[in-house]
Amino acid sequence: MLSPVELDVLSEEDLQLKNELELLVERLKENNVDLHRPALESLRTLIRTSTSSMTSVPKPLKFLRPHYATVTEIYESWPESDNKLFLADILSVLAMTYEEGKRDSLKYRLKGLREDPGSWGHEYVRHLSTEIGQEYEYRQENELPSEDLMTLALEIVPFFLKHNAEADAVDLLLELEAIEKLPDFVDKDTYARVCLYMVSCVNLLVPPDDVAFLRTAHTIYRKENKFTEAVSLAIRLGDYDLIREDFDAAGELDELLQKQIAFILARQQIALPIEDDKIQDILNNTHLTKHFIALAKELDVLEPKTPEDIYKSHLENIRPGFSSGSVDSARQNLASTFVNAFVNAGFGNDKLISIDDGNAWIYKNKDNGMLSAAASIGLIMLWDVDAGLAQLDKYLYSTEDYIKAGALLAIGLVNTGVRNENDPAFALLSEHIEGAASSNMRICTIVGLGMAYAGSKRADVRDLLLPLVSDTTLTMEVASLAALSLGLVFAGDCNGDITSTILQTMMERDDSQLKETWGRFMGLGLALLYLGKQDAAEVTLETLKAIEHPLSKQVAVLVEICSYAGTGNVLKVQNMLHLCNDHLDKDKEDDLYQAFAVLGVALIAMGEDIGAEMALRSFNHLMHYGEPVIRRAVPLAIGLLCASNPLLNVLETLSKYSHENDTDVAINAIFAMGLVGAGTNNARLAQMLRQLASYYHKEPNCLFMVRISQGLLHMGKGTISINPYHSDRQLMSPVGIAGLLTTLIAFTDVKMLILGRYHWFLYYLVTSMYPRFLITLDENLNSLPVTVRVGQAVDIVGQAGRPKTITGFQTHSTPVLLAHSERAELATEEYISLSHVLEGFVLLRKNPDFMEEVKD
Amino acid sequence: MPPVKVNVKWKGQSYEVELDTDAPASDFKGQLYSITDVEPSRQKIMIKGGILKDDTDLKTLNIKEGATIMMMGTPGELPKEPPKKTLFIEDMTDRQLAETCLRIIPELQESLNRFPNSVTSPDLQINLTTSLRDLYKQLNRTTESYVPFTFLRALRSAFPQFDQRNANGYMQQDAEECWSQIVTSLNNANIPVYRPNDISTASESSSSSNESFVNQYMTGEFTSILKCVDAPDEPASTTKSTFTKLSCFTSDKDINYMQNGILMALDENIEKDSPSLGHIANYTKKSRISRLPSYLTVGFVRFFWKNNRQIRTKITRRVQFPFDYDAYDLCTDELKQKIGPLRNHILEREKEKDTAKRKAKASLNPNEKETAESKSDKDNEVNDEIKKLIDPELEKDIGANVSGLYELCAVLTHIGRSADSGHYIGWARKHDSTEEWVKYDDDKVSIVPQSEIQKLDGSGGSDWHIGYILLYRSKKLV
Repeated sequence: MLSPVELDVLSEEDLQLKNELELLVERLKENNVDLHRPALESLRTLIRTSTSSMTSVPKPLKFLRPHYATVTEIYESWPESDNKLFLADILSVLAMTYEEGKRDSLKYRLKGLREDPGSWGHEYVRHLSTEIGQEYEYRQENELPSEDLMTLALEIVPFFLKHNAEADAVDLLLELEAIEKLPDFVDKDTYARVCLYMVSCVNLLVPPDDVAFLRTAHTIYRKENKFTEAVSLAIRLGDYDLIREDFDAAGELDELLQKQIAFILARQQIALPIEDDKIQDILNNTHLTKHFIALAKELDVLEPKTPEDIYKSHLENIRPGFSSGSVDSARQNLASTFVNAFVNAGFGNDKLISIDDGNAWIYKNKDNGMLSAAASIGLIMLWDVDAGLAQLDKYLYSTEDYIKAGALLAIGLVNTGVRNENDPAFALLSEHIEGAASSNMRICTIVGLGMAYAGSKRADVRDLLLPLVSDTTLTMEVASLAALSLGLVFAGDCNGDITSTILQTMMERDDSQLKETWGRFMGLGLALLYLGKQDAAEVTLETLKAIEHPLSKQVAVLVEICSYAGTGNVLKVQNMLHLCNDHLDKDKEDDLYQAFAVLGVALIAMGEDIGAEMALRSFNHLMHYGEPVIRRAVPLAIGLLCASNPLLNVLETLSKYSHENDTDVAINAIFAMGLVGAGTNNARLAQMLRQLASYYHKEPNCLFMVRISQGLLHMGKGTISINPYHSDRQLMSPVGIAGLLTTLIAFTDVKMLILGRYHWFLYYLVTSMYPRFLITLDENLNSLPVTVRVGQAVDIVGQAGRPKTITGFQTHSTPVLLAHSERAELATEEYISLSHVLEGFVLLRKNPDFMEEVKD
Repeated sequence: MPPVKVNVKWKGQSYEVELDTDAPASDFKGQLYSITDVEPSRQKIMIKGGILKDDTDLKTLNIKEGATIMMMGTPGELPKEPPKKTLFIEDMTDRQLAETCLRIIPELQESLNRFPNSVTSPDLQINLTTSLRDLYKQLNRTTESYVPFTFLRALRSAFPQFDQRNANGYMQQDAEECWSQIVTSLNNANIPVYRPNDISTASESSSSSNESFVNQYMTGEFTSILKCVDAPDEPASTTKSTFTKLSCFTSDKDINYMQNGILMALDENIEKDSPSLGHIANYTKKSRISRLPSYLTVGFVRFFWKNNRQIRTKITRRVQFPFDYDAYDLCTDELKQKIGPLRNHILEREKEKDTAKRKAKASLNPNEKETAESKSDKDNEVNDEIKKLIDPELEKDIGANVSGLYELCAVLTHIGRSADSGHYIGWARKHDSTEEWVKYDDDKVSIVPQSEIQKLDGSGGSDWHIGYILLYRSKKLV
């Protein structure tokens, strides 16, 4: 009953409505069946005409609410008839406002006339779909049949899709575990928004829903002939049969489209055996070097840079002391070697080493420094196999063992990311695996093979390297690096042979051998096999539990984090954080797995923005309360999370850590700064690093790392990114992440590896290096400059209408560089892009409908 | 089978070659040699993941028309190792500088050359000496920079404290400690004294064979008088002790000259149990030199341990040191008597020379030639005169200073703000030159004027080189 106050506020109009409704309810109570029908009709009319308002409970429902119980009683008392069904419909609507949790709306809906639910308004449909979800869950628990729910849901879904509520449609089907039914309802007007929503949900779903979503979205794209989108999803699924099918289907439809797909596959380094030479060239990335140099010409950065151009030490605030000057410092020269390599990477020229007198610079490095110096040629000649091998050949005859080894590594580096029909890397390197090569040459051969064939899953490489893993007479160093190379080559392949061989070796080797630093790389090799494969790694994890050595725990963590890499799986992140909770006594227990767990938080969370943000916050806590081993890993994890993405707050945090008392933390933080800024030329970071160079000018190790970071910051003179995500941050490059992770793992024993004799671990970054360009090509694969708008990407998922996808844009002419989280769109109507994402190589076709604007 | 046309890629260029699959692979390599000038032995021809060997049957490779083959090879000369090895700063240490100073003492070299031990001697300290000898030999032989690895290794094994490492490599070591350790080990090694031929055989036999070089040339003797302040009646005790180094205090604000500093170091106040009073009493210990060695080392006490801050700090006070040093004031009365006559004579002679010079400058002497001639006669006279004046006892004592007069011959300096960091370098007087000095900065050797040496007195603060150890040698009498 209404309170007097409410009575007071009721307007005359409302009072009239209220009385009318009450009268209608009274009518229904009466036994005069003839009057029932008109009463129900007018009730329906009253309700329907007023449900349009979304902000408050519609008046008729409000006034009818007190009579809900009465009406249900009436309903129960009526015999089966049309009127009873009619009343059920009305009750279903009334139940919206009455008593949550009993799912009365649904109950009466199912009993009612079942006319189009949309006729009762949007709010009713939404309410109904909520109750369907709840009911379905209830019935699943009690193992009751639910076909009627499904039928109802399938009535609702088209309504949602038609009324801009694709999110609700998708959610409803998700709750009913019937997402695969969606494609039947989607048409050309709705597919784009539906798929966008579905794809953006994937990171938040638990298996197997995520895969189901991707597959459904893929089906929809294919149905709408959106091949590039479909292929992207097939790549994300890692389903090679699906990729092949899409590729062939696209070929039948449109040859140019097939080429575009080939470019997308090449970016992900997926090999398909194709007869067509031109397409094979695209898949082999043969064009990469040509276009990269063209880009450099366009941007006017072809001129080689010296390390001093990068350091700008005249801006450093140190008095020139006795230590600078004419004396060569091996440490500083080594740093310059790396800086030179990273800065001039891929340009095919530099001022130190690829010149006629380059030999002299190699000899300006000491021992293993010579190795890295010779190998740096590989990075400078990156992707250009012909010219690179010509440069390297002479060093293969060197009398110095280190130089020969470095040249072998360089052969691997040159061939990273590109394939060649003559397979020069395999031809040149395979003979050094077994021959009486020195240990340095052998190691470099193994590492070089791993880089050159990263992600290729080549069986002949496996046959070559697998015996090295299983042979327990070899050193841990050789066996572990062989395992690591196999991990790179078969990243995400779940290869059974390699898995069992590595596990077998770990069981057979002595405890003392497993304890060596190299053990972690054997584990990493194993882990990389399961990159992104989620629960496929479970058997391996179980097997690892059987190995009674601290190493097995480390490896288990590595396998787990790799298998969930980029999934954003919150439960796994929590697992990892939990591992970091223990405060271990380092002398008694091995605590290295905690470092891997920290890296794991970043690795798992990196796929998705909110997860990444949360990870950054947890790192803050770990830095405050963690053990030294954890604190050392935190900067590395930040570097991984924000590779080539210099966010201001991240830079500030790392800058703070780079002044830590614990030198290892400082060194890792400095390196992380390099990673975060890699290839961006970020001016603020450059300033920070120069300041660090002054600060640490008396600490050779820190200064070395500052120099390396300066080199990374200007990687490829600001044209190369190391972020493993590409194609609008939708696809993760497995080899990219593998290379990045390997480098970071090497930093968990920075003293022995990076600052010791194994600084060439820095070269593992090469697998993640790729130009961050957009190059538009015409139908003959020649560069075609067009105007594009480049701006910050905007998240438009679930937004109404046709919102802008970029903000704060500038108009450029291609080729153009894209920063992290930037997006491009064509600024001209003259061409149509064949790819859905404007990144990397994009093929354009003339727009047949284009009309030149008539100028006055 | 008819020949197939293939494209050979080499150095980024493509060459069309007719490949006869019936001929051996070496023929194909010959073809390529004529095109590219790359010797067949250096050709690496890559076909489908393999390298073409001379005995490969080309037919089995199933090469198709128009196939691309990759070749790798460098024509002509291969790059050679540069003739000169790069020397890295990491390989050098400051310790070699101490030796630079030692090198100034020619007699030591001579003596060492006669030192017979081989490097494999079990005694580490002797080992050090031998390696030092070898080092000198090396240094004499070469004009290039030479890194004293053997010596350093021996030094580090003999004195493990120099082998301390930190993250950056070897830790900074105190040059003074290093110097004194080297001297001590030389002493222990008992290097027989090398006597120049002109010294009579009689004196040679008089000095016993167990006297070592260091004892003779580098060790002086103190006579210390210990007096009790609290009990003036207590008889003063006199003790004798040897020294290889004079310390010079630098902390006191009164000290502006080296002489003050040394005197202050020689007069000590100590507390000790007094036999007459039966309790601990204050004593003054007054040391004076009773024997002056030919080579006098003066160490500046520049580093001291700040107790309140628990650090070793550096005193950068300016303490001037003379180029010619008169040790007369430091001597015991007895020694003063012995060296007095000669010293006075030499001082007078120098004064005369000075005035003569001034005169010569003032008046352009027309009889210049004459004086020059008479000068040599005069010199001989003077020499005889001087020889007469040398105290006979001192003359017998090889390696002793007979006049009390010294000249500066080497300086070891330190730059930097703290004891654990910075850089040591050596400065030495150029052989037989008064105006020019040689600066030994690790492997960089340069010649500097004498005026530079004057700046090493601490006036430049901690950011300039400051004298830390000075080495004086006896003035040549002639």
